[in-house]
Amino acid sequence: MSQLVLTQLLAAIPNKPPQPENALSLSFRAGQMWGILGPNGVGKTTLLHTLAALKSPTSGRVELNRQPITQLPRLTLAQQIGIMFQEHQDGFPATVLESVLLGRFPHLSPWEMESEQDVALAYAALARLDLMDFAQRPLNHLSGGERQRAALAALMAQAPDVWLVDEPTNHLDLHYQVVAMGLLAEQARQGRVVVMSLHDVNVAAQWCSHVLLLYPDRPPIWGDAASLLTQDNLEPLYRQKLAMTRLNGKPLFVPVA
Amino acid sequence: MTMIRRILRDVTVAFGLGGWACVPAAFADAICVLDDRGQTVCLEQAATRIAALSPGATELIYAAGAGDNVVAVVSYSDYPEAAKSVTSVGSHTRLDLERLLSLQPDLVLAWGTGNPSEQIDTLVRLGLPVYYVEPYEFEDIARTIENMGKLAGTSTVADAQATRFRTGIHNLRDRYQDASPVRTFYQVWAEPLMSMNASHYISKVVSLCGGINVFADSPRLIPRLSQEAVLLENPEAIVTGGMGEQNAAWLDPWRAFPNLLATQKDNLFFVPPSLIQRPTPRLLEGANILCEKLDIARARR
Amino acid sequence: MLDVKPMSLSSRYSMLLPLVILAFMSLLSMVFAITQGSVSLSFSAVWQALLGQGSTLNQTLVVELRLPRVMAGFATGGLLAVAGALMQILLRNPLADPYVLGISGGASVAALAAILLGIGGVFMSGMAFIGAVLSTLLVFGLSTRLGSTAPMRLLLTGVVIAAGWGALITLMLALAPPHKIPGMLYWLMGDLSYASTPWIAWLVLIPTCMVLMPLGRSLNVLARGPLQAAALGVNVKSLERLVFLLASLLTAIAVTTAGSVGFVGLVIPHMLRMVLGNDQRLILPASALAGGCLVTLADTLARTVIAPEQLPVGVITALLGVPTFLYLLQRGRL
Repeated sequence: MSQLVLTQLLAAIPNKPPQPENALSLSFRAGQMWGILGPNGVGKTTLLHTLAALKSPTSGRVELNRQPITQLPRLTLAQQIGIMFQEHQDGFPATVLESVLLGRFPHLSPWEMESEQDVALAYAALARLDLMDFAQRPLNHLSGGERQRAALAALMAQAPDVWLVDEPTNHLDLHYQVVAMGLLAEQARQGRVVVMSLHDVNVAAQWCSHVLLLYPDRPPIWGDAASLLTQDNLEPLYRQKLAMTRLNGKPLFVPVA
Repeated sequence: MTMIRRILRDVTVAFGLGGWACVPAAFADAICVLDDRGQTVCLEQAATRIAALSPGATELIYAAGAGDNVVAVVSYSDYPEAAKSVTSVGSHTRLDLERLLSLQPDLVLAWGTGNPSEQIDTLVRLGLPVYYVEPYEFEDIARTIENMGKLAGTSTVADAQATRFRTGIHNLRDRYQDASPVRTFYQVWAEPLMSMNASHYISKVVSLCGGINVFADSPRLIPRLSQEAVLLENPEAIVTGGMGEQNAAWLDPWRAFPNLLATQKDNLFFVPPSLIQRPTPRLLEGANILCEKLDIARARR
Repeated sequence: MLDVKPMSLSSRYSMLLPLVILAFMSLLSMVFAITQGSVSLSFSAVWQALLGQGSTLNQTLVVELRLPRVMAGFATGGLLAVAGALMQILLRNPLADPYVLGISGGASVAALAAILLGIGGVFMSGMAFIGAVLSTLLVFGLSTRLGSTAPMRLLLTGVVIAAGWGALITLMLALAPPHKIPGMLYWLMGDLSYASTPWIAWLVLIPTCMVLMPLGRSLNVLARGPLQAAALGVNVKSLERLVFLLASLLTAIAVTTAGSVGFVGLVIPHMLRMVLGNDQRLILPASALAGGCLVTLADTLARTVIAPEQLPVGVITALLGVPTFLYLLQRGRL
């Protein structure tokens, strides 16, 4: 059971002077499903990259099971923390299966070939995201939504304890939005940590147990989703007037012109 | 095994020990001569299978009376006529070493500034005697013919040829020693425009005939020039070889400059390039023609 | 850019079979090259000569002339193809090639400068290496903006740098004393006529391939992009630095062995990817073998097609490479 602990963390957001009152001190615990909400450019992606140790913070630290992530070797880190990027780099030609199989990279030694088990894991991930027919297709022939699913499948094959996901529902149609969020919720239920950035507050309301609200002009707040997702908290977040209703006991927000 | 022996030999050569193998004293009655690099070349017996790796070397070895012993030449070895039917081993810049070795020469006449040194080094490494032909002076040409005669055992013919050449040059020198100087531009090539400085043998022919090479002081052996540079020097005579034996077309562009002294006096002369652009015995003929041309220039003053 | 044939799985078997086939073809090409020449020798005559039997002339022809040249040619092809494959991964661009990007040009300029200064042997290789590294740094540095390299920008920078080196080469040739010119010219054409020390190339090629083998999967990850690679646990900076140094070293050694032979690094990895997929664990050793084959056969053609006139091998690889590449580009268009 892993947990990711942030202490006085200030991510280095490009072109923004650091503000100490915005420092984050919180824990992402196993079984929790966190949604990071905030307007464009507030630093959601930067925060996720900082949590994955791909970017150094301005100050503060991130600890994975009481060890600072900057002190862990990259490969060890990759066995425990996985990240799905919002933008999919084009890279070099590869098939969908090959790219998903690369998710097994942190678990293999240099001389090892992928075992039957690794391949089985990759196929299971492809099946879970309805990509079996695409296995041998070149990645760059896929549509945006298909690539998004392939990236999720790769993360699933990587099977980390901490899932960092940047905008999981991007490019996805309604059906696959549910498939993707269902997959993430299942990971959380199985005792993993799931942290994702979301641009859609209703997705967060529907699926997240906890939220972190990053404001453009005041200190962030975090905690239980049910108590934090209110009109009072969200209207200043998006600087947009909202109307709220309830559906099946969960809040639903609609922007009001 | 062969590989091991080869590597051992490479190592020996690399450490400079290989040189011992061709110490002149190793041969009892060896024929030894000094080549144009100042190195001693020795043969146990007269060469009977000779490879000439430049058109100039071919002319010289034929002049030395050893034409029948030539087994390999390179492209453009067109003089004398008999040389054309000898097996070619490619161009002088890229030799077909396989073909050359299969002809089993016992003497290689190499061209230091024309043949690739890597390929000649390979021949030396394989134990072939290499004589470098690189004449710069008239005397070099005569001496080379004599040396070739010694190496091929045809000294009678070779010495006669060398003497004829020396006498010819000597006569010209006597005759033009006090001739009034003619400022001369010798055009080696047209596009790009090229001449030569004082260390080139063509420049020496110009001096021999009482001419003054206007680009004698150029820092490069073969300077590339603009037409302006030639107009500025305003030579009294312009001499060129041209591309073909009959082709004097290179002179035509100069007629466009009526203020040029050489054009005014119509001192635009053609010398067949094969007679002057190779340092061989035929250079004497070329020199005779060039001297006559400069005499014509003097007569037109 | 181009279609890549999907590969089912990187199982040991599916990886070994193409390599065995390529190794067999390599052997065949070398044997063929040793039997061909301006003097025709039968296979048995060649075999005898290799064993140190038969006439001394045949032994000299085979052991002293053909064998070193064939070995040098094969190693040069291997070096260039692997260097090309590495650069393509590094830049995530299938059009990267030491020749096109001006890396060979930088190595050539440095080697020519060495000749002009009268420096030879190992120091010349060292100069060529520095030239190659300098050139790569120039191309990288000038084409990278805000940490990202746009393929078009990179290619244009490479082409311009290559043209710049070309001008420097012309300048050096124009200023060189005449007796140094024949020795210098061959750097420009890519020519195996003067190759006399094939073992240096092999000494670099074999260990490099061995270093690259365990790195294959890391390179696969790197090919997905540096950020993705870092997220999957690759130490991107040190891997990129290593790949960069190796590619420069391989190019420099190829250039000091045979001058700048073009298009091998472009065409070979490309063709292999179309047939074998894009697993670097397979592509890199396969490139070494196929590149070796190509240059060996091209040089055999170069020294026999109009014998006794000898052609520089670079002419043949370019004449084969350019149309092949254009054809592949046309056929494989998305």
